[in-house]
Order: sequence, then structure tokens, then C-alpha cells
Amino acid sequence: MTKRRSLRLVFLAVLAVLPLRAADLNVFAAASLSDALKEIAKLYEPGSGDKLRLNLSASSTLARQIKEGAPADVFFSADEAKMDALAKAGLIATDTRVSLLSNTLVIVVNADGGAAVNKPSDLAASTVGRLALAETQTVPAGIYAKEYLQRAALWEKIRARVVPTENVRACLAAVESGNVDAGIVYKTDALISKKVKIACEISAPDGPKISYPLAIVKDSKNIAAARRFVAYLSSAEARAVFVKYGFLPLR
Amino acid sequence: MSDSAWQITWFTLSVAALSTLLILPFGIALAWLLARREWRGKSIVETLVALPLVMPPVATGLLLLKLFGRRGMLGGWLEKTLGWEIVFTWRGVVVATAVMSFPLLVRTARVAFENVDPRLEQVARTLGSGRWRVFTTVTLPLARRGLVAGALLAFARALGEFGATIMVAGYIPGKTATLALSIYNLVQLGHDPEAFTLLGISVAIAFCAVFASEWFLRRRIR
Amino acid sequence: MVFTEADPMSVELSGLCLPLAHFTLEVDAVLSGRVTGIFGASGAGKTSLLELIAGLRRPAAGAVRIDGRPLTDSSTRLFVRPERRAVGYVPQEGALFPHLSVRKNLLYGFSENGARPVGLTFEHVTEVLEIAALAERRIQTLSGGEKQRVALGRALLASPRLLLLDEPLAGLDAPLRDRLLPYLARVRDEFAIPMIYVTHSPDEVMALCDDVVILSQGKIEERGAPVELFVPAAAPRFVRR
Repeated sequence: MTKRRSLRLVFLAVLAVLPLRAADLNVFAAASLSDALKEIAKLYEPGSGDKLRLNLSASSTLARQIKEGAPADVFFSADEAKMDALAKAGLIATDTRVSLLSNTLVIVVNADGGAAVNKPSDLAASTVGRLALAETQTVPAGIYAKEYLQRAALWEKIRARVVPTENVRACLAAVESGNVDAGIVYKTDALISKKVKIACEISAPDGPKISYPLAIVKDSKNIAAARRFVAYLSSAEARAVFVKYGFLPLR
Repeated sequence: MSDSAWQITWFTLSVAALSTLLILPFGIALAWLLARREWRGKSIVETLVALPLVMPPVATGLLLLKLFGRRGMLGGWLEKTLGWEIVFTWRGVVVATAVMSFPLLVRTARVAFENVDPRLEQVARTLGSGRWRVFTTVTLPLARRGLVAGALLAFARALGEFGATIMVAGYIPGKTATLALSIYNLVQLGHDPEAFTLLGISVAIAFCAVFASEWFLRRRIR
Repeated sequence: MVFTEADPMSVELSGLCLPLAHFTLEVDAVLSGRVTGIFGASGAGKTSLLELIAGLRRPAAGAVRIDGRPLTDSSTRLFVRPERRAVGYVPQEGALFPHLSVRKNLLYGFSENGARPVGLTFEHVTEVLEIAALAERRIQTLSGGEKQRVALGRALLASPRLLLLDEPLAGLDAPLRDRLLPYLARVRDEFAIPMIYVTHSPDEVMALCDDVVILSQGKIEERGAPVELFVPAAAPRFVRR
């Protein structure tokens, strides 16, 4: 009798302690981080005992969801503007904000007989009938692309050919399918796909300043686990993964 | 109402009307066949026609995207022979709305034909009318109310189409911006007041279309 | 006013075979009266037989010939479409077109230039059937008897060379039937068009037919003149209860 009762107590004690260790972390991250974060999750989960739930979408969509009360613990955005907006609304723990990564913009065409684009001004040629860009008013990749095209005095020439997509991965998919002639995505996206090839890279001096900020959401129910994860993302192990996928570490 | 709201409304009404006109002859012919004829594999045809009603619209949209894309079976052929681009253009909107509203037209029209007493058609044959004359002088006039109701229902469905349309045509301002797509986009941008204006227009149009359809169905033969 | 005696027309049904729900219709006969009655209980296959003659159904086997001219012949796969047969058909309950007026119904099969027996004009037919006054009425406003007369007139005005009537007086009460029988007799006498008349009423057979075929379970059971078959003493089972 006593033995069974004490066994039950031990069992309950273990159950009570376990949740403290195994947290479900909701990570809202920009679509361009998809593959890198999935690999990082595989490295992080076994050691920490936490489970990462990745919500990967356009940063604009994620910011809207957080604003409407979606249960997010960590927000990893593709541009500063979205993070600023949430900070202004008092939704993030500003002391945890850190800008970890940068990226490069590239022009991609279909790997199988795509349009000939050797330099950015070729986008204005007649061979590029349709150009896919992530939605240029809200999605960071689209905002960056438009900013670059305006600076290169190409925007007015090509704006009638633009096919807006919901996020940067949809932009990539459009080029992969052959339904558009070219697209502007991050270098990290282009490297993932075998069906597109990089027609030309937009070098850092010409291109927009791309920055990926990261922060903990103030209303998070798992602050401790979130802190652990954010710390891990700054570690050398995580940085190696990001670099492998083509991101540029800031710092 | 702003200029662009008018333009979006006008565009939506036009593509919906065009799409309905395009499916009318096929829909009526198929409905008649389903009502009056039996053949092996008929149930497969019935199921295929009903699919867009039951499948998630984006799934149907995905199928259409594969089919009508530049490298798709139909899309490639159309671009080569007619120079028509389908995806990401207004034509894509028409294709998506046509496919999604087709089942509604066929169902309603089929019931309309089934409600015409076949005896009347038989007697007309014995009075010297060939099949086509029987169709135009007996079947069609008697089925007319149901056919109009079906067309109106298809039109109403076409007006509100979203899932398949966003897949096949995307949202391109000025080129493929229907009411539904525009509302979605405005919400994404956070421009809720404008979205609500378009919402009001959508409700008003849909209400009229469905109301007219019901009225037609209910009118007694004079 | 009798214009001509009805020319004897022969309707040859050879080896007709049609599987139905509970039995197979098998008919092999030549009909050649002015008015041939087809008598039988409900479900005996009478309507199906008329449909075969009118070309509204195809038999599994057999042939239909009118005056020697084949209209259906399964051995040669011949099938003349109903609109080309000039065989009129008045189904039970008339089947008038509800979206057309009486006049438009009557004139539906009427062709201005068609060859037709003398006297088969709109005026004369409506006069014989006493429906001239109904011309502009809507079908829904007609009584049962009026509907039947209009259906009859419509079939006549299409100039058939053979008229099939499927229980035209069924569903009408006895006084109305008695009032309508003379019209049918008038049609027989005035317009010289041979008729095949389906009924399950011995009175109608006695009044109109000069030859009667008795159909039971899809087969011809008996054949002969009405007088022979319907006098009570000779065949008590046909007497109306």
C-alpha cells in the first residue's frame, strides 16, 4: 500500500516538473528563414527539451497576427519596420531586441530556359514580360526590391509588369513554375531551389539595407524558454547554419 | 465611392457576366444530357461536375494553375496558338470563376429540365417536330425559369469567387483586382475602412443576384 | 357530312418484342380496321404498344409497317423517327402544352403547305369538336372534357395518316364520357383517318371499334369483332361490374 502510494507520488512529481522543462515555443519567423530555422530546430530541440512551433509567413502577415493577439513567443522579422510597428504598439519586450542577420537580393530566372537577364537593366527588356515581386507595400522582400528598383531608376519602366505575390517564397515558386519571366528574391531563397538560377546579384552598395531583427513577444507564456532560444540563435552553432544557407551575420 | 472602387466593381461585374455567358451553352447542354439521357460512365460525369462545389476552392485553383500555366497542357497550347496568356491576367479570373460557378448552373438547369414532362416532348415529336424544334419550342420555354435562375446563381457565385481566383490570377491591381481579392488585399494592408466599403458593395450585389434568382424560381407559369 | 370512307390501312406488327417490367410484350398481328380497339387491363402493355407504333420506343426485335412501308425493322436496323411517321398520338390526359394558348396548341403540328385530306382545316376541325370558342383561352382554364377535345384536334391538324389514342376518355366521369363519345365517332366518320384506340372500357369498344384486340400480360389473347367478344353471355369476364 505504502509502496504504491509513494510510487504514485513520484509519478505525479515527475509530471509536475516536466512541463517546466518541455515548453512549446511559438516562433513567428519570416518565410525566407524557413529552411535555416528548420535545421536549427532539429539541433536545438533534443538538447533543450523544448518544442519549436514554426509559423513561417510574410513578416507583414505575422506582425498583423501578433497585433490581433495570436499566441507568439518569438518574432523574427525580415525588416526593421515591422518590428518597429510592434514596438510602438507595446507588444514586444524591447530589451530583448537584437538584429542578427542580413541578406542579399538577387534576380532569378527559371533554370530551364529562363529569360536572359545579365544586368539589372535587362529587366526592362521586352523578354521580361512578367516580373514577380513579393507584395511591394507590405512584404519586406517586396519593399526591399521596390526600394532598389526605384534607386536604380527601373521602377517606372517595369511597374506595369509586376505580379505581386503573398510572400517571398511564393515569388520564388512563381519563377519556378515558369509563369513569370523573372523574380527578385533573397539569395538564400535562390540557393534552396534547383528550379531557378541566379541571373544577377544585387551587390550590397547598390542594394537596400536588409536587416533581420529578433525579439521576444511581451505577452509570451514561455519567457524563460524564449530567452534560451534567442540566446541560442546568437550562438556560433546557429550562426554556422545561417551562413550555410547564405545569410550574412550582422556584427 | 472612389474611382478605384467603381473600377473594381465594374471589373468584377464584367468578368462575372462574361464567365456566366461562356458557361451557359455548355452548362445547358450538359444539364439536358444529364436530365434526359443515360449512358455508361454517367455517374463519373456527374461527380466530376460536382467536384468544384465540394473541393476547397484553392485546391481547384491549384489544378487550374497547373493546367493553364505557361507550361501547362492547356496554357502552353493557348499561348502558342492564340497568343493568350491565362494565369495572372483577367482571362485567368474568367477561367477560375467559370469553373467554380459551372456546377451551380448545371445543377439548377438539370432540375429545370427534369421538371419538364417528357410526355410533352414525345407528343411534340409525333406532331412533326424534330428534336431541335422540340427543344426550342417546348423544352426550353417550359424550363426557362429554372435556366434563368441557374444563370443568376452562377453569376452570383462568380461575383464572390476568391480561392481559385487568387491561385490562378493573383491580385494585380488594375488587372485582376476583383471585389473579393481587393477586400483581402486591403485587409492585409490594414486599410479596413476601404475594405468595408467594398464589402458593402459585395453584399449589395450578391443580395440582388440571389434575390432575383429565387424570385425566378418561384414565379408561377402565367 | 362524310367525305370518304376510311381507306383500309394495314398496320403490320410482325414479331414485335419488347421486355417490360413484369413480362415481355410480344405482338404479331395485322390491324386493318377503321377503328381498331386494343383492350386490356392496366399494365397489359397497351401504352408500350402504341409507343412502338408511334416510334417513341424501339423494340428489342420485330418490325412495324404501315401499308407495307416499314417504319421500324430491327433486322435491317431501320428506325424512322417519330416526326417523320405521320402517326398521331393522343396520350392519356392529353398532354397539352401549358405555355401555349389553345390556338397555338392546335396549330403546333399544322403546316400550311402540307398535303392533307380535304376538310382538315382549322375551322372544320374546331367546328366538329366544338372547340372554336376556346381558341384564345389558356390551357389551365379548360375543363377535362375540353382538354381532351383540344388534344384530339391538335393531333388531327397535324394530318396524320394513322391516329393512336391512349385511353382518351379515362379519368373522366361517366356523363362526360357519354358526351364525348359522339365526338370520337364524328372524327371517325368525318375525317377518314384510321385509328387505333386503347381502352379498358367495353362500352367505348362497342361504340367505336370495328375490330378489337385483347391484350393480356403483353400477349394477344383474343381478336375479333366487338360484338363477338363483348356480349355478356359469350364472355362474362369482360362485362363491366
